[in-house]
Amino acid sequence: MSAAVARPRGPDLVRAVTPAALILLFIIFSVASPTFRTPGNLLHILVNNFTLPAIVALGMTLVVSTGGIDLSVGVSADIAAMVSVTLMSLGHGLATSLLAGLGGALLVGALDAVLVTGFGISPFLATLGVLFIGESVQQQATNGGTPIYLVSNYPEAGLDFLAHGTILGLPLPLWIVIAAVLLVQVLLTRTPFGRHVRAIGAEPRVARYSGVPVRRTSWLVYILSALLCGIAGLLLAATVKSYVPLSGNAFLLDAIGAVFVGTTISREAKPNVLGTLLGVFLFGMLHNGLLLIGWNFYWQQVAVGLLVFTVLGASFFSRRLQTSD
Amino acid sequence: MTADALASPGFAEPKADTEDRATRRARRRSQIVRLGSIGALIAVFAYFAIAAPGFAALGNLTNVVEQSTVLALLAFGMSIVILGGGADVIRGGIDLSLGANLGLCAAAYTVASNAGCSDIAAAAITLAVGTAVGSLNALAVVGLGVLPLLATLAVMNICAGAELVLTQNTVLTANSPLLSWIAGASWLALSVTDWVLVVTSVLLVLAVHGTRWGLRLQAVGAHTQAARAAGLGVRGYLAGTYVGAGLLTAIAAIVQAARLSGSSPGSGDILLSVVLTSLMSVVFSRRLLPSIGGTLLSVLFIGCLINGFQLLNVSSYWVNGVQGVLILFVVAVRSLSTRTGGG
Repeated sequence: MSAAVARPRGPDLVRAVTPAALILLFIIFSVASPTFRTPGNLLHILVNNFTLPAIVALGMTLVVSTGGIDLSVGVSADIAAMVSVTLMSLGHGLATSLLAGLGGALLVGALDAVLVTGFGISPFLATLGVLFIGESVQQQATNGGTPIYLVSNYPEAGLDFLAHGTILGLPLPLWIVIAAVLLVQVLLTRTPFGRHVRAIGAEPRVARYSGVPVRRTSWLVYILSALLCGIAGLLLAATVKSYVPLSGNAFLLDAIGAVFVGTTISREAKPNVLGTLLGVFLFGMLHNGLLLIGWNFYWQQVAVGLLVFTVLGASFFSRRLQTSD
Repeated sequence: MTADALASPGFAEPKADTEDRATRRARRRSQIVRLGSIGALIAVFAYFAIAAPGFAALGNLTNVVEQSTVLALLAFGMSIVILGGGADVIRGGIDLSLGANLGLCAAAYTVASNAGCSDIAAAAITLAVGTAVGSLNALAVVGLGVLPLLATLAVMNICAGAELVLTQNTVLTANSPLLSWIAGASWLALSVTDWVLVVTSVLLVLAVHGTRWGLRLQAVGAHTQAARAAGLGVRGYLAGTYVGAGLLTAIAAIVQAARLSGSSPGSGDILLSVVLTSLMSVVFSRRLLPSIGGTLLSVLFIGCLINGFQLLNVSSYWVNGVQGVLILFVVAVRSLSTRTGGG
């Protein structure tokens, strides 16, 4: 037990840190750039800066809830994209290719799960190993990282629909996010599986001794995370109509950052769906806003790092103040 | 009174026998791991010596040592951080910002040197940058209580972004007397780069394994509560490890700038090797803890492996994969060998 996981007491300012940062940034960007607060731009943030990282971060929320971490999210996304784009470029059908892609992502998740539950390797190191093996496999398969492009007139319109289609006026990726949110929220809060996940996250040994199926639960968590990442990878591939090796790694920091920033809004400092979504939106807004006020990609990276640093620092520090009475 | 209770034989004796047996078994297991890994090292070495022409030549081996210096300095920093913070990956010590810090420091040296700073000024700036990054980690981990994994991940992002801002993601070249001295000069058949490695290794082995400071540092990492109860300034030791790692990284950055004649993007990729070698070092230690000597052995092992692959014409794309497999192997061996009957 360290101070970081101790329960805070009473109503606290910590939980306001993330929403306050969100509102503050929104005001700053709205003042600095008139285009920022237009409905069109806000929808643009939702679709382009929010959907894919949100899907990945929801899987990460599950993993972190068990006390683990998944560094191989990028690999799951990339392998899914690689398999399906390769199959499509060879002329296979859309459904077959997409399913095969998800199968590839599942393999990555299964590898994580075997290493973590079977060999007892700590999740950080197990998924770090998988991350590098996955990168190696991709480089080997693409001759060092050459992207695979789909011919522009790929016969099935379904691919275009996946990226740009709308249902009831909302873009399809947003519907997928909504489905994923419901799935993870219901799983975490309303099912025995969710109780097991939280029990393992709180105290794995106690969970095992009280009869929680630790292995089965961990398996499911890594498989689900990989599956969600695979979906994000497929959506990315459908949007850019190509597979760019190692592109999934861009999700990693945003996902981890969003989950841990999200823990600050929970009274128990636990990962939660709403917090994760707030975190992802915060990052998406930051990227978009900085771009609009003319900061380039390099400065954006510094700014995201500083933001994560500040939010985590503020929340951990005030928790420490509260618990050290 | 409490001390009396603890010291009284009535409490200690019934457990002593079973614990003794468990300890003995654990010691035997760790011995097998240690001898096995040294055996594996020799086997790999022998294989390359036979299969790869020119591998065992003296010139090639000094080449391996030279290529390993930057990695070794970073891995030393990581080992010190893990020693001081404890081996638990999530709550213990880890510094993910080392690779990005290396890139930032190398860029800082190159930019400063190109802006007309003298060698001493540029080196001072570099050391200051590295130490500042280390202090930022220390502030977050020790001062604010953020988990090291998260704090250093955020700092990694800041450093990587700052490096891009400095270099605009391009290769910058630099030439200065200091760099050409490091790259070119040699003394007693060893180049300056080799000497940096030798001197740092000796100093750190002495400091970590031979002084009161090192012993206390290990106490802080292994039993934080006990160390605090014994009156050690735990926070000071922890902060020191992060700042020290930052300083080592800055030194490594100057060596790297000399080897590459400047700075080039992508230095952060070294992080995997740093994590790997630091973790691997535990298999060379009797108590399965990171050690400076063990880290040096692992670094040279990885250096030989990469060099041997090059000589055998194995695609360089596999190097990362092999390192990933090695990490998993090492950690699986450790977790299986330290797993006691009950837990």
